[in-house]
Parts: sequence; C-alpha cells; structure tokens
Amino acid sequence: MEHRDGRTVGVDREISALMARVKEGDKDAFQDITRQYQRKVFVLAYAFFRDREEALDIVQETFLRLYEKAALFREGEDFQGWLFRIARNLCIDSYRRARHRRADHVADARIEALPAEGADCEDAERRSDLRALFRAVLDRLADKQRTVFVMKHYNEMPYQEIARTLGIAVGTVKSLHFKAVRNLRKHLEPHMGMMS
Amino acid sequence: MSACEIRRDEWIAFLGRELDADRDKALLGHLDSCRSCRDEVEALRVLFGEADALGEETRAVLASVDWEALPSRIAARLPEQDRPTPRPAARLRALVWSPRLRPAWAGLLAGIILGGAAVFFALRKPSGRGATADFFASADFLDRVELELTRRQTLDYLDKSQYLILDVLETPAGGGRAGSSALASREARDLITRKKYLNPQLDRFRMAKAKDLCDQIELLVFELTQLSPEVSAAEVGRIQAMVRDWQLLMKIRLVKKELEQSEV
Repeated sequence: MEHRDGRTVGVDREISALMARVKEGDKDAFQDITRQYQRKVFVLAYAFFRDREEALDIVQETFLRLYEKAALFREGEDFQGWLFRIARNLCIDSYRRARHRRADHVADARIEALPAEGADCEDAERRSDLRALFRAVLDRLADKQRTVFVMKHYNEMPYQEIARTLGIAVGTVKSLHFKAVRNLRKHLEPHMGMMS
Repeated sequence: MSACEIRRDEWIAFLGRELDADRDKALLGHLDSCRSCRDEVEALRVLFGEADALGEETRAVLASVDWEALPSRIAARLPEQDRPTPRPAARLRALVWSPRLRPAWAGLLAGIILGGAAVFFALRKPSGRGATADFFASADFLDRVELELTRRQTLDYLDKSQYLILDVLETPAGGGRAGSSALASREARDLITRKKYLNPQLDRFRMAKAKDLCDQIELLVFELTQLSPEVSAAEVGRIQAMVRDWQLLMKIRLVKKELEQSEV
C-alpha cells in the first residue's frame, strides 16, 4: 500500500467513497465509518471527561454531527482531522457547560486534601490519591494543552497528526505539549515522592 | 528543574524516543554524569507513567463498551427517511447567505447605491440648458464654427466676383449685347444678395481687409446692374477703368491667399 504522511492513500480512498455514500443518505456507509472511528473518538472524549457515559454521548453526537455535515466534507480532505475537530469542539462545549455546573474550587480542594509527602498511609491508597491528583491537574489545564496531551499520550498520535487534526503547526503542538508537561509537573512536584 | 544546559523539552523527546540515534546516545551518556538531569528524567518518567496508567484505565473502559452494537444504535437516531443530499446550488446559496457574509453583502449593496447615485449626479445634463437639448457645445466651439463658415463664404464670394470681373474685362470696347448680357447677368444679382448676408459676419470677426474689398466689389457690381441693356462703349470703358484703378483682381488674389492660409 502506498504511504503518504503516515497515512495510507488506500484508507483515504475508502473513506472518500464511504463519505460519498453518506452524502447520499446511505446508513450502511454511515455505520461502516462509525465502526472504524468510534474507538478513537471515544478515547479522545474519555480523556476529557473520564466518564464512560459522557464519552459515549460525545461519540454519538460526533457521528450524528458527521451525518449532518457530510455535504461539507470535501473529497481529499483529511477525514480523521475533520472528524476529530467535530469531536473536540463537542468535548470543549460539553466540558465548559459541565465546568459551570461544578464548583471551580473542587479540583483545588482535591489537591489540598492530598496527604503530604511521607505521610503515613498505605501505598495503594497513596497511588489512588495520586491518580486523582493527576486527573485533577490534567482537568485544569488549558483546553489546547489538555487536548494535545491527551492526543499524544492516550490516542498515541504523533505530533504531525495532532497538528493536522487541530489545524496548527507542528512546532505549536510541541510547544503546547511542553507547556502541558511543565504545568503538570509544577502542580505535582510537591507530591512527586508519592509517585516514585 | 534541570541545572545544566540540556532543555527539558529535549528530555521529553528523549523519553518519547523522538530523537535521532546520535543525540539519543549523547543524552544517555550525559545522564551518567549529571544528577540533576537524572532527577529530571525520573520525574518526567513518573509523570508519563501516570499518564500511561490513565491510558490503561481508558483501555479497560474501552473494553467494556459494546462497539459492535454502537453503530446501529447511533444510526437508529438518524432521521427516518434518507436525508436528501443538498444540491450544489443549495449549498452555494447557504454559503452565500451565511450570517458571516451578511456584513460584506450589506457593504456591497451600500457601495452600489452610493456609486449609482454618484454616477447619476456626475452624468446628469446641466439643468440650465433645458431638458430637450440633445448635445452641449461650448460657446468657443460655436464661435470657431461660425468663423470657419464666414471664411468659406468669403472665399466663395471672391471666387464668383473674380469670374464676373474677368468677364467684364473681356467685354469688347464696343459694348453692345454681348457686354450687357454679362453685366446684367444673374451672377451679379446673386453676388449682391450674398454680400448682404456676409456683411454682419465680416464685421463680427473684424475681417477688415476682406470687408473693404467686398465693399468695392459690391459697388462695382451695383454699377453693373444699373447699366442699360444697350450699353455704350464709353460706359464699358468706365467700368473697366474702375476695375483697373481699384486693382480689384490683384486684391482678390491676395485676400483669397490670406483666407486660404488662415483655415480654422
């Protein structure tokens, strides 16, 4: 199979053909596309919410939106990037709505509530607390930093693919990833002893 | 924070195995001798380990979802009837009338209205000339036209006078019927009529030399028309003497030459 920028031309052709059928209202083609990409969209959404049901809602909404907007997809366009942009926008909208509902101080409270390094507690409990802390800090990162970090570590996407998906330069992706790591470290550093 | 010259983002790339083999080997060697970098790498490794742990958790959740059933469940939420594909024209219409482009269209419309009004006022006929005027010509242009017409009419008058005078000079000294036919000819009366219309034009354009000559010719022609049909040799001789004395033929040639050279 011929390779191009890490993706296959064969996959592009297959997706283009399926999308052409979806534009005609073909539900079988729609299900084929959903089957191929549902897990990737789920991973992206789950990283945002860490809630199974909420992530599944995002998956459903993403593919329903794909069906609605199928006519706007241009042949030859990066399909995965287009689909992830839909998913990411839905995640951000939903995340912001959820954030308004929650008290903003919750994450801070959780961080403050963590036992200090060297506290006398069971290892398993400490690890569980640390994971909660990591989640809390990740949750508080800026949208783009969190998205890049999630795509890089959970979706295991290379920088180039993240850049294409988000429509930004590879250098910007690297910079956002670096800032995400730096901010995670900054908040987690006082508790690093628990992590090792 | 690492205290040496190696940047943290390079350690991130190192852990992500994104560096080329040489750089990877160099950093690995550096770790043996630099404690702060070892601490840095260890901290990043723990951080990424936590991310991986969350990744594992994600994979466990992934395994709990019935992925085979999900596509048909989502498809069941689609509209019952197949959605008609928007035609290209409909899509174009939607694009053209999208809210984002409305300010641009409003600006364009305003521009057309203002531009149309400006063109209307710029090209409108001057109100002082009346609504029925088909064209507009400047007063200077009209003056030049009239001057040119006067010049041509004067030349024509002098030409005809020249022929008549030559006819008079060729009349035999005995006069008789041949002379009277020429003297009382229709051309003489025509010249008198022409001169009547030429006078005001010559005055207006101050063509004094031509005016003096034309006056002399007029006088001569007037004399000719006063002659009786049976003209005597003496009368013919007097008229011919007038022509010679006044040097009419020479003056006619000179004035004609001037007029021909002064074409407007």
